[in-house]
Amino acid sequence: MRAWVLARKDLQVYFRDRVAVLLGFGLPIALATVFAGAMGAIGGGDSVGRVELVVEDRDQSDASRALVEELGRSDGLRLDVLEPGSADTARERVASGDAPAGLSIGAGFADALAKGVELPLVLARDPGKVIEQQIIAGNLIPAFFGALGDALGPRMGARVLETLDFPLVGRERAQTILDDTWQRMESLVGDIEDADEAPADGDPAKRSDEGGASGDFDFATAVGSVLGLQVEDVVGGGEHAELQKRAQQANAVAGMAVMMLLFGLVHCGGTLLQEEADGTLDRLRLAPGSASSILFGKVLFSWIVGLSQLVVLFAYGAALFDVPVLRAPLALFVHSAAVAAAVTGFGVLFAVLARSQKQLEGLSTLVVLTMSALGGSWWPLSITPDWYQFLGHFTLNAWAMDGYQGIFWYEKGLSGILPEIGVLVAIAAVAVFLALRLFERRMSVR
Amino acid sequence: MHEEGTKAPVIEVRGLTRRFGSRVAVDGLDLTLAAGGCLGLLGPNGAGKSTTVRILSTLLRPTAGEARVLGLDPVADGARLRARIGVVPQDLALYEQLSAAENLAFFARLHGRTGAALDAAVANGLALSGLAERAADRVKTFSGGMKRRLNVAVALVNEPELVFLDEPTVGIDPQSRERIFEMVAALRARGTALVYTSHQLGEVERLCDRIVILDRGRKVAEGTLAELQAHPRVQRRGTAVLRFGSTGEARTALELVERAGAACALEEDQPGLERIFLDLTGRALRDEGEGS
Repeated sequence: MRAWVLARKDLQVYFRDRVAVLLGFGLPIALATVFAGAMGAIGGGDSVGRVELVVEDRDQSDASRALVEELGRSDGLRLDVLEPGSADTARERVASGDAPAGLSIGAGFADALAKGVELPLVLARDPGKVIEQQIIAGNLIPAFFGALGDALGPRMGARVLETLDFPLVGRERAQTILDDTWQRMESLVGDIEDADEAPADGDPAKRSDEGGASGDFDFATAVGSVLGLQVEDVVGGGEHAELQKRAQQANAVAGMAVMMLLFGLVHCGGTLLQEEADGTLDRLRLAPGSASSILFGKVLFSWIVGLSQLVVLFAYGAALFDVPVLRAPLALFVHSAAVAAAVTGFGVLFAVLARSQKQLEGLSTLVVLTMSALGGSWWPLSITPDWYQFLGHFTLNAWAMDGYQGIFWYEKGLSGILPEIGVLVAIAAVAVFLALRLFERRMSVR
Repeated sequence: MHEEGTKAPVIEVRGLTRRFGSRVAVDGLDLTLAAGGCLGLLGPNGAGKSTTVRILSTLLRPTAGEARVLGLDPVADGARLRARIGVVPQDLALYEQLSAAENLAFFARLHGRTGAALDAAVANGLALSGLAERAADRVKTFSGGMKRRLNVAVALVNEPELVFLDEPTVGIDPQSRERIFEMVAALRARGTALVYTSHQLGEVERLCDRIVILDRGRKVAEGTLAELQAHPRVQRRGTAVLRFGSTGEARTALELVERAGAACALEEDQPGLERIFLDLTGRALRDEGEGS
């Protein structure tokens, strides 16, 4: 009975604090929504995340068109087919960071297919986008088989044996067995399709799981050998595994840097509320000068702290994880200054919107975690559904991450990341402007 | 220092009213403070003292009425007025992570002091508050009394012509209170006008030459102490005090007076607790905060 009396009192207190109730129930709902959205669980199977594949068909034959058509039917791929005669190339698109991979179908593809010689197919890849490569590889196999199975199938066995480095002694016998198996599989697939029980191809999660072979076997690379594709890593300029590692580390450092910066600078902005509670804000109001100068003081303070934090973090990242901070130091400094400005704007705006430290903590936790998940601080946006990527770019995290990836991975200079810097500066300007208007209103003599 | 002999009142208030929703905090208040004077605002909690101070010091807009402070409208001329006044808030308003000198320097800089003027403002503040020896210590290590003195000193860094002191001695030891009284006396000596709010009657009686008593936002009485004593609603009783060398002589005299039909009682001289305390502990400041 006594326990119930105590519990009832706590329930009364809890439910009278609307902010606590909102946080207690709203934060898990918001995060669950973001997670589910990222994994493609919202809106049914059609909205499952597709990975972009740029396709450049320079053959324009029936065979090449059939392949492109089949690729387009893959559930896991979002095809961007370049117009014939376009100056743009799949390779350039990948190298500039616009897409994780590009398939170039060279002139003479149909002839090579008919003659059974090496196919002029090049898969340009961004090795830093590890998850995306697995998904692409998993979707290429069914598409190739669907479009070119009759021509490719019999030769597939030989490529598999070559990929596995099968001993020459006995290779002929193994080839015969594989050819026979291929015939049987074709027949089996036909039966399954007739029974309308064929499993949907292109399930990215399933494919990548299947492809995630243990040991040193790289499914994404092996697929190229098996299908007769020439695979080329067009970003990074180093050994494949090392490139992947460096890209992931740079991405992780940048992602966490932006998220933690948001938390830190919301706290800095919160000193405004602390001053109000301590009575020093009234003292500042009583000194000569406008209310806006008080807010600008907070903005400047937060920006300096934020930029210093980024400098320290990237120095640490360079020392421990080889984050290439000296690749474009000016671009890195200017971008970091813009990131710190945008985050500062948010921090100060939150501080002005909140009426107490408790409200500020609740609001910032909710918004910072949601923005970080939406904006790519936790996972690459390129593996999320289209709508998610669209929403993600309404967060400063996405633009900050794009800029850092541009510098660290795509070797862009200041001019290459000007759009990202521009957006971040615009976010900073709008947030500070709104904070200023609200603060002036709050500080006006009323 | 300020110009002496200015005849215009420092504060002129007519019909000042402030409402918070349906609650009336200040209700049609009239006030006048002459140059160099000290006006005491007396009243119980919720009487409207702090609201009046906030309006006159530009922090709050009146709902109705007119106010001129140093000849300026607190709402329309707020920026100009703020440069000429000092406000000692009821609650401590200091940066606890900064030292006493850093607090004084920060607020002096906000008031445009630089170089020698800044150094002088800091030195004056430290001397006035008796904190020169603890100048470099963080405020968070100070005792309540030291913080209160610094709280007053910070309001004076711009050498204001008018200072509002809103219950500046709440919760401190008698020594620090005495020092604050000395600070107030020093301000008066240099011609600074003061508005002093308190519900400590003795403080107002001691420091102010004119007193306004507020209750529920309204002015109940105004005047000098003598004028208030003569107020028609204040009952006056005739009291004769006769002093005798011994209690026995006093008792004999008492019997004689009682026979004459007058009410009388024997009261032995009992010093008040404050007098006992100060006599026993002395008037020297005790500045042994947590960090000392």
